[in-house]
Amino acid sequence: MIIVIGAGPAGLAAAEAASRNGTDVALIDSAPRKGGQYWRHQTAVKGYRSNRADTLFAKIENASSITHISEATVWSIEKDGNLFRVNYLQGGQESSLTAEKLILATGAYDRSLPFPGWDKPGSMTPGAAQSLLKGHGVLAGKKVVVAGTGPFLLPVATGLAESGAEIVGLYDANTPLRWALSPHALLLNPSKFLELIYYARLLKRFSVTPQFKRAVSSFSEGSATISRVNSKFNIVAKRDKSRLVDVVAAGWGFTPDLSLGGIVGCAQRVDVDGTTIFSVDDAQRSSVENVWIAGEATGIGGADLSLIEGEIAGLSASGQGVRPLLNFNRMRKQIFANALKRSYPIRDGWQSWSDDTTTICRCEEVKMSEIRESVTELGAEDSRTAKLFTRAGMGLCQGRICSRNVSEIVAGLTHCTVSDGERIASSNRPIASPISLGLLGDGKK
Amino acid sequence: MKNPDAIVIGAGIVGASVALSLTNAGFKVLVIDRGAVSSGTTGAGEGNILVSDKDPGPELTLALRSRDLWFEMQDDVGDTFELEAKGGVVVARNDDGPLMILASEQSNHGVTIQKLDHTSLHELEPYLDQRYQSGVFYPQDSQCQPMLAAAHVIRTVVQRGGAFISQAKVTRILVNQGAVTGIETTQGNFSAPIIVNATGTWAGELAQMAGSHLPIAPRKGFILVTEPTKKYVFHKVYDSDYVANVASSDADLQTSTVVEGTRAGTILIGASRERVGFDGSMNYEILRRLAAQATSLFPVLRDVQLLRAYRGFRPYAPDHLPVIGEDATVKGLWHSAGHEGAGIGLAPGSAALITDAILGRESFMDGSAFSPARFEKVSL
Repeated sequence: MIIVIGAGPAGLAAAEAASRNGTDVALIDSAPRKGGQYWRHQTAVKGYRSNRADTLFAKIENASSITHISEATVWSIEKDGNLFRVNYLQGGQESSLTAEKLILATGAYDRSLPFPGWDKPGSMTPGAAQSLLKGHGVLAGKKVVVAGTGPFLLPVATGLAESGAEIVGLYDANTPLRWALSPHALLLNPSKFLELIYYARLLKRFSVTPQFKRAVSSFSEGSATISRVNSKFNIVAKRDKSRLVDVVAAGWGFTPDLSLGGIVGCAQRVDVDGTTIFSVDDAQRSSVENVWIAGEATGIGGADLSLIEGEIAGLSASGQGVRPLLNFNRMRKQIFANALKRSYPIRDGWQSWSDDTTTICRCEEVKMSEIRESVTELGAEDSRTAKLFTRAGMGLCQGRICSRNVSEIVAGLTHCTVSDGERIASSNRPIASPISLGLLGDGKK
Repeated sequence: MKNPDAIVIGAGIVGASVALSLTNAGFKVLVIDRGAVSSGTTGAGEGNILVSDKDPGPELTLALRSRDLWFEMQDDVGDTFELEAKGGVVVARNDDGPLMILASEQSNHGVTIQKLDHTSLHELEPYLDQRYQSGVFYPQDSQCQPMLAAAHVIRTVVQRGGAFISQAKVTRILVNQGAVTGIETTQGNFSAPIIVNATGTWAGELAQMAGSHLPIAPRKGFILVTEPTKKYVFHKVYDSDYVANVASSDADLQTSTVVEGTRAGTILIGASRERVGFDGSMNYEILRRLAAQATSLFPVLRDVQLLRAYRGFRPYAPDHLPVIGEDATVKGLWHSAGHEGAGIGLAPGSAALITDAILGRESFMDGSAFSPARFEKVSL
């Protein structure tokens, strides 16, 4: 049997591919429905090329060898002889499941950058705004600014507009001219032009004009300050504008969720954009025998790439051959993914948006001034030491939101770059999801 | 700083304390560490400053003095590291005989104790399981935030004319005619007639560089940290089995739970003891045992969520006593290491012993039980 963890595009594709030769698959996911963050746990999906999702959902439902374990949150994985024991929480109980092989497709979450007011009600990530809308049918606000960088802002802005929100502004801190650096990526992926046209028409219909080299640099009491930024993300003086809004949805690309692969001991590396990811081979095998990894955790690349990686992982794990065309398509999508990273970089200038009182770690309410003092007064040289001194990253989210930002702030203050070792160490979280002491103790052998 | 009077290797709490003590005695001190401040065992510690877990003997004498020196160090440096005399409560479920005998002996050696019956025990710890019949209150047991403490102490050393260099790994210890003359590091070479080895769990490796020998090995421990909760635990609370485990030489896993609340509202649960070398892997069975013991002490913790768990390596010597003093064969090489799980508590006392010995002045106790010379023929 193979356990697939994560029922987003990569996990669904992996489960479906592995089941083709009758291999038993347990597909574990924390949501009630399939689809992951991207297809938002719906039975039917709307939007660009949504038929792919519906087709995949149907295949999974019709495959008798796939068991979908929903609303199950995996908190740890143990090695038990040559089996993996996956411990998960479901309905207030702890259960476990064992298998010889694992496919991890744990996806990614929005990256946030701090700015004054980012921790106030009304400020959220684009992913959260989309989740409220698609998952719960709730519009986050009537007047919305969508900001940050990257193509993910487009479906969020159009989705909110279609549901009746007024998109007061759509701002990307980078400029599309950066695509000129990667013409081959566009030529290899002509379908991306069609996708762009699809969103451009939608934006036009809702009279939304994207603006570039702009960022939300502060937000308070229903007013967002839109600043012009240069290519380093530093604010260009005296070019600020205010916008009255209910909601600021700001997102800066994605951070993969590495907890489970980290627990199993899969080797990690740092991607070209500074993101920590897992190292995998051509067949999506990790450094640990019988563990495959697919999707965003092997490099942020979007649903297209995740589907292919998932399919390859599923085929490889179930002992089926992988057609060369699949490998070629993955390469094509990887070239596009790398072009995305080059076109939408995160520049250090964001650190200057914060003042001393800006919250950097929301869980523990650690301010910028405290992080600065931990470096200048106490000699912190990396995010671990800054965390020990300030508690930044010790709270409920365990640094998933702030640790990367803290690393970069500390590096900025000490005029260093963040080492790969530090980036990898900060993703080490042995408790992948909180578990009550009662349940934990009850599981004692 | 090219020619300091003394070099302290290791920027954990033990090294920081030695550096401050020497600085206050008029030495120009250079502190170096292969990582950052508190990047070793100090950074994985709970901040225990305990007298309650020590049998009468030299370690208890050291612990009592060291505990007072912590408060003096706080006055010297400024109230900046969450030092608090929160007190310890040791509880017994059934047979409290051994605990009460130990407490009486400790009391004869200067430890303040208060024996607790069922009523007074549950007044001190209202959420403790009613099945615990009796216990002992140790008001001297204290707590600090050890990483902050080390950082503030080293900052004070630097303010008083010392220096600190991080990310400097020692590559050679220079010895001439049986005496140290300096060190070579990845951040440059330094000469000094006095070198203090405060590298904790790694002190054996460092001694070896100087051609000497210290049998210090790691004993792994896990600590659990919960979400912030309502105040359920008011002191450091542990089962009387803990004392037996601290003293044990058994290589096998031992768990006996110490539960305490922190200022941040989280609850810390320690501590396991395992001799498995520097194997850093997570052992979920240990976490389960610690959780089971913590919830058996405080059933109210059953619904509290565990957020994280971390591990560290305690430095221990075969006789479970710290190693404090001049090397048996190399002159000018001093050791303050091997404090096992008590390094935070014993740090300033150990520093005072070393400074007194270097100056050749009388100290508060006879430190010969901690002499590095006791291992000349011992290995692990």
